[in-house]
Amino acid sequence: MSVTVPSHPKYLCVVRDVTARMARIGGMTEETSGQVKLAVDEACANVIKHTYRGDTTKRIVVKFRMAPEAFEVIIEDTGPRVDPEAVKGRDLDDIKPGGLGIHFIKRVFDVVAFDQTKTKGNRLRLIKNMEKTDEDRHNHS
Amino acid sequence: MKIDITIAEGVPIVAISGEIDMSTSTLLRTHLLELVGEKRPLVLIDFTYVSYIDSSGIATFVEGLKGMMHYGGKLKFVAIPANIAEIFSFSKLDKVFEMYGSVNDVLDR
Repeated sequence: MSVTVPSHPKYLCVVRDVTARMARIGGMTEETSGQVKLAVDEACANVIKHTYRGDTTKRIVVKFRMAPEAFEVIIEDTGPRVDPEAVKGRDLDDIKPGGLGIHFIKRVFDVVAFDQTKTKGNRLRLIKNMEKTDEDRHNHS
Repeated sequence: MKIDITIAEGVPIVAISGEIDMSTSTLLRTHLLELVGEKRPLVLIDFTYVSYIDSSGIATFVEGLKGMMHYGGKLKFVAIPANIAEIFSFSKLDKVFEMYGSVNDVLDR
């Protein structure tokens, strides 16, 4: 399952809606799906702001992979290579505008990593390990 | 997102409805910084109908607050839904912004 949107902020609502629904289909609670929605929104906003530098004529591809043990979101762009070391948020105790997005991403996803094998553009992999519910444990015991 | 600004007892009340995100926070910033430019001593943000906020929206409020602090102004939030309050709390901003249950709680009417 994937969705491709123009790199314009007005399409971020489409990414959010799809992400939230996929998270719910994947078995997440409303609270967790809200956190996943915010995280993916922030990741795509970073692509628009930092990678494409506000160019609204590009494309962002968001792919979803669901498995019982993990929920994976892959975000691809065609912009210049991102230096993973440069993706840092501000200290949360340092109150100033900006620098929060990466914190929202890392609080809900267990893996946040750029695919270094991609030679053109960027591929950000976000993986959330799914916790087993009591019902799952019962069914597998 | 929609913004309605009314004045009650001389205090601007900025009522926002809908989603505050990268595409809408610029409009919010324009309105908020206009009030900061007028050196309003108190500005209320009514979150009753806000369904979503991202980091750009939060940054806008931090910028507004910092601008008001320069002249001793106060930026106060009212009626914040639980899902929005949680985001401010995670960002450690729930101690920075003053939050109230309703407009009446602030204006004491």
